[in-house]
Amino acid sequence: MNITSGEKGSSLDRIGVIFSKETRDNLRDRRSLVSAMVSSLIGPLIIVLLIIILGKTLFADMTEKTLEIPIAGAENAPSLIAFLAQYNVKVVPAPENPEAQVREGNYDVILVIPEEYGEDFLAGRPATVRMVLDSTRQSSIANIERTRSLLNTYTQQMAMLRLMARGIDPAIISPIAIERVDLATPQSQALLFLNMMPYFVVMVVFMGGMYVIIDATAGERERGSLEPLLINPAARWEFVVGKLLASLPFAVFAVIFTLLMFAAAFNLLPLEDFIGFQLSIDVAALVWIFLVSLPMILLASGLQMIIATFTRSFKEAQTYVAFLPLIPALPGMGLAFMPVKPSLWNMMIPTFGQQLVINQLMRGETVNVGLALISAAVTLVIAVALIFVAIRLYHRERIIFGTK
Amino acid sequence: MIQTTDLHKSFGNVQALRGVSFTASDGCITGLLGPNGAGKTTTLRILYTLLRPDRGAALVDGFDTQADSMQVQRRIGALPDSQGLYPRLTARENIRYYGRLHGIKGETLEKCIDDLIRLLEMEDIENRRTEGFSTGQRVKVAIARALVHQPKNVLLDEPTGGLDVMSTRAMRTFIRRLKDEGKCVVFSSHIMQEVSALCDHIVIVNKGEVVASGSSEELLRATGRDNLEDAFVSAIGTEEGLVR
Repeated sequence: MNITSGEKGSSLDRIGVIFSKETRDNLRDRRSLVSAMVSSLIGPLIIVLLIIILGKTLFADMTEKTLEIPIAGAENAPSLIAFLAQYNVKVVPAPENPEAQVREGNYDVILVIPEEYGEDFLAGRPATVRMVLDSTRQSSIANIERTRSLLNTYTQQMAMLRLMARGIDPAIISPIAIERVDLATPQSQALLFLNMMPYFVVMVVFMGGMYVIIDATAGERERGSLEPLLINPAARWEFVVGKLLASLPFAVFAVIFTLLMFAAAFNLLPLEDFIGFQLSIDVAALVWIFLVSLPMILLASGLQMIIATFTRSFKEAQTYVAFLPLIPALPGMGLAFMPVKPSLWNMMIPTFGQQLVINQLMRGETVNVGLALISAAVTLVIAVALIFVAIRLYHRERIIFGTK
Repeated sequence: MIQTTDLHKSFGNVQALRGVSFTASDGCITGLLGPNGAGKTTTLRILYTLLRPDRGAALVDGFDTQADSMQVQRRIGALPDSQGLYPRLTARENIRYYGRLHGIKGETLEKCIDDLIRLLEMEDIENRRTEGFSTGQRVKVAIARALVHQPKNVLLDEPTGGLDVMSTRAMRTFIRRLKDEGKCVVFSSHIMQEVSALCDHIVIVNKGEVVASGSSEELLRATGRDNLEDAFVSAIGTEEGLVR
């Protein structure tokens, strides 16, 4: 019986064989699975934690609570103390050495009322009240601001009383009246957190299939199975494509999983308790975000394939490939603080354009379909170019044997 | 049938091959004998299509290893220098992967695998994952997957390296069996005794060149010695490779 001459099989068949072997092999690898799972949990977890921790300090309504202010020399200003008491302030005795206490973070703010306060006040001179504070300490800001605004209110009240006592209309010292109309909705405040979500999606895109690619290239060579594998009758491009395709289900799974986690976190967790309103993200937006991610998945696999083919060992490949998700992170994190409007030039940047589109989808804004398509097309073209480079690399003799 | 003519290959400044020519016939065991670094592995790598010779050509059943590499790959089964297996796949799955890459599937493939498993006496390990296999077990899997498509030409790079006595004996029996089936077997070794015990045709390689070739008798006659050991030493000029 001679099998070799008759049957041949097409490229598609062989790519299928390589794909199914790599998928099966990696499904048995705990590292591949854990890496896909963990990477998809990171984003939702960080955002929920931020909401819980920051939401408590930034958004919680402070005026409800009794504010404790240590005051040194409270006896010098009885009317100020009485005023503060009306506004739910509990005056406590100040510790020794207020500066040191604030510097060490034991107190948010300490008031020091000097002895000459009463004398100055009666004489109509500005009477000094010293606020000891550290303006760089984020957690103290709410209490500092509340104390300052109370002192301002008291100053204004006193000024008005003095003017009225002299028969002058207090309105004379308010040349302008500021009316504040804050249009921030609860949702737009929450977007501060949501702005980070696009980056986390990109991160998962880069991490989901990472282990499969490394295992199928650098790992294959390290365990000495690349040389015998390449003796089989299949073209090099068939090996590259088969291995690359095998990483896609893992990346796609990770992206779907992370989007579902985000949806669950926003729609199911009682985030209202922490930031005063409920976040929400609808199914259509999730589906679009998923579709926007697909070209990036191919790009990430191509890039990882090249790096993992170049490096000498599994460990080395892992080190370099793990850095990849940090590259889109820089502009992505910047987006959280400095919103950029999509334009032709920035939509042509792979992963950055997608982050802008995902951001818009999340906010429920209208997406410019033309720009989104250009972004997808440019990313796909670059991805295909990278895959071609990977195939060329696979033709090199030194790639097969490692060092030579 | 395997022919090489004037193979040259260098890596950077190192000239690994400087003109290797030999012919290996069907139904015959051809041994590439030479000390470490003589160029045996490089020659075999050119034969199994993974290296491109700088000069010269290698033909398998008349197909050029570079121009018709797919045709060559279908006609050879090779046990290369590195014999890595997939540790998360079972022995049988490792073999099946190669079979499927050759376009064999279904019943036919399973039957081929069954035959090899019986022949190599690996029934006890066929459904175990290969992680933790002994060297002997690993070599068996590597051979089975290389021969799953029943190639006419078999290339073995130091097949007995690292094997214990019993496994080495089994390997020799197996190689003779391949010859009896009419296959063209080329194997490399640095151990003179092994080559002389097995081979119909011996090609002594040293420093990238063929220094002598022929049957044992022809080698003795050519070097004017009365035993193969002396013939080998006189051919390569050192005593390297005589003992393990």
